[in-house]
Amino acid sequence: MSKLDSVFEAKSPRQLELREQFSTPDHQRETAMVGMWIFLITEVLLFGALFTAFTVYRLSDPQAFDLGSKDMEIVLGSVNTAVLICSSFTMALSVYFAETGNQKMLMLFLIVTMFIGAVFLAIKFTEYHAHYLDHKVPAFWFEESSPHAAQIEMFFVFYFVMTGLHALHMMIGLGVLTVLLFRTAIGSITTEYHTPIEVGGLYWHFIDIVWIYLYAIFYIPGLHLK
Amino acid sequence: MKEPVVSIRTYTLTWLALLALALATTLIGLLDLGPFSMGIAILIATAKAALVVAFFMHGRYESKLVRVIIAAGVIWFLIMISNTLGDYITRGWLPFPGK
Repeated sequence: MSKLDSVFEAKSPRQLELREQFSTPDHQRETAMVGMWIFLITEVLLFGALFTAFTVYRLSDPQAFDLGSKDMEIVLGSVNTAVLICSSFTMALSVYFAETGNQKMLMLFLIVTMFIGAVFLAIKFTEYHAHYLDHKVPAFWFEESSPHAAQIEMFFVFYFVMTGLHALHMMIGLGVLTVLLFRTAIGSITTEYHTPIEVGGLYWHFIDIVWIYLYAIFYIPGLHLK
Repeated sequence: MKEPVVSIRTYTLTWLALLALALATTLIGLLDLGPFSMGIAILIATAKAALVVAFFMHGRYESKLVRVIIAAGVIWFLIMISNTLGDYITRGWLPFPGK
């Protein structure tokens, strides 16, 4: 068998449960979890750099950033926060049903999670459209009469970059869940071997955490000015 | 069948707590707390993040190695932001131009 064939060969659950380089299934699982957590830490630093830059600019003119925050779509943003928390909950339930070996419920909850994730993105793009109609697109179409106009524009730069990067992660998350759904459908996920579901779940929850902070820094500071 | 790591009951309680904290963030945001409004929002967000990491992401049930990695991520982020702000905030403290 050529090397290429072995790559595409469908592995039986038994083979996936313990690959040859690991001594026990627990060892294999632990290695995967450590790898995923290290990846998530690099993501923390990716978003962290943006949060740091945001803080530096906010400190240079807090009033302008509050004024920018006043223009956020608070209702859509708050609904989206609840939507994403619900999707994290359904993802957590997916992991539960993977652990208990209930494949039907696992697939159902993966689909529900993907659906809620898609709802989040739809609401997010509705918000972007509202900002576009409001002429709040930095560099392309930005109208602001306040004397703080330049700093408010900077607020919107951060808003679009950070929520945009977050939305990109959501799309990647939807792709990951699609693969997991496929792998569950072909029977690769069992009670003994469900590490992919756990790892995918970690990614999904991480995206939720990023949004929790985005909601706090973009939507809340200017809320009382409305 | 192996026992699942976290029960549905715990997941549900975590979910409800997260929704309650999200509502609290929004309601507190309606008040004018001056410079504290951002700080309180970040504080509640951190409580929510801790809940997600501990229960949804099984952080509470993982090995010490994983918990050290989680702690390292938080600490590295704090080093990045505190050293950067340590520079920006202290500019202009000394009476020399450019310091």
